[in-house]
Amino acid sequence: MEDYLKELTETRKALLNMLEDFEEARKIAEEEKEKTRAIVVSLTDGLIVLDKGERVSLINPQGESLLGIKIKDIEGKSWKELTEKSPFKEINQLILKNKNLFREEVSLEEPKEEVLEATTVFLASRKERIIILHDISREKLIDRMKTEFLSLVAHQLRSPVSATKWTLRMLLDGDFGKITKKQREFIGKTYQVNERMINLINDLLNVTRIEEGRYLYKPTPEQLEDLVESVIKSLEEEIKKKKIKLEFKKPKEKFPPVKVDSEKIKLVIDNLLTNAIKYTPSEGEVTINLNFGKKEIEFSIKDTGIGIPKDQQEKVFSKFFRGANVMRMGIGGTGLGLFITKNIVEAHKGRIWFESKKEKGTTFHFTLPIEKL
Amino acid sequence: MAKKILIIEDDKFLRELISRKLSGEGFDVAEAVDGEEGVKKIKEDNPDLVLLDLILPGIDGFEVLSKIKEDPKASPIPIIILSNLGQREEVEKGLKLGAIDYLIKAHFTPGEIIEKIKNILK
Repeated sequence: MEDYLKELTETRKALLNMLEDFEEARKIAEEEKEKTRAIVVSLTDGLIVLDKGERVSLINPQGESLLGIKIKDIEGKSWKELTEKSPFKEINQLILKNKNLFREEVSLEEPKEEVLEATTVFLASRKERIIILHDISREKLIDRMKTEFLSLVAHQLRSPVSATKWTLRMLLDGDFGKITKKQREFIGKTYQVNERMINLINDLLNVTRIEEGRYLYKPTPEQLEDLVESVIKSLEEEIKKKKIKLEFKKPKEKFPPVKVDSEKIKLVIDNLLTNAIKYTPSEGEVTINLNFGKKEIEFSIKDTGIGIPKDQQEKVFSKFFRGANVMRMGIGGTGLGLFITKNIVEAHKGRIWFESKKEKGTTFHFTLPIEKL
Repeated sequence: MAKKILIIEDDKFLRELISRKLSGEGFDVAEAVDGEEGVKKIKEDNPDLVLLDLILPGIDGFEVLSKIKEDPKASPIPIIILSNLGQREEVEKGLKLGAIDYLIKAHFTPGEIIEKIKNILK
């Protein structure tokens, strides 16, 4: 009898302990839940959770604010239903392209004009999907203002620089009377310096256009081999002056046309060829290869020039970068050419890369995709 | 008889430079410092060719161009846009509105501008 009583007392104690533990655990769970709720509610990014049935199970206040909706309007609605209209329509278009989004930009007009970055996370265990929306409208606005300002300044700079160009030119042409040989020499040099400034302003304007994203004008189907020929022709003088041996190798068959902004692609070829000529000593060799496969056209240009030192190679495409070896040699340049070139190639969905060995030479390559027209 | 060129340009120095060059080449030069004056002088003086800047106080160069091309008497006068704005959209707009050429000031010497004028007046 005593043993029985003892067992009962022990069991009671154990049960009370368990109850206490449960209470503890429940309190902790409640606290965790409160904590999570507080975080979700106060997040400065929008948060939407879709349950395993693809229905909206949660949307936080910032999410409501960014999308201009209230949770009661969308609670329980299926994702399919919601994506028939803005703003979910645009977000879904991104998701359809790539199931796992990471900070992909989406521009919305309805219900308000804004630009958001969307990130999606899939919780495999609970089969829930989380969509996080980060507002970058202000950053976009500031970016645009900066670009507009830069464009405005560049245009304004053209006026005084034109006045200088015209004055110096007229001086050199004798429009203001005869000038001495020494005067001609120095006025001539100043004229060249001014021309460099004009080129820099042009490069700056090109950069602002890249940043505006309005860079590619109207792509039209073009024969790349003809564009290359035309650029080579325009640089004939420089090639002859430096006695460069230029070869243009291409297959006999006609190339498939590629849809490109011809003015911009000519800029790319011009930049690469000008660099090859500029950085190759007299009587050096420059070889252009143009080939096409099923999916893309590849352009490569090889020179026997001073090359790009290995420790500088990764900065080559950055804005205003100029190689230390080149600057020491006093060769002129703005450092914007390759930055612009890379942007143009990539805007066409092509690739650009190079190989280089100091004092041996450099080979630049770029590809352009052949689109089914 | 000397050909008459009207230059519509608000920058005094640039106006002076191009005027001087044109006179030196034997042209008759008239000047206008803004769009309104430009339109007036085109209609009254009937120049053989107009050099038109785009950024002007008051009405801009594009408006001047539109107004002139709407006027049946003035419309045949060749107009060269001479501006430092030079984005492709602007060039296209100018040519579409009826300018016969579009030159970016910073890219052309006065001599090259004269060549263009001479070619058009041939």
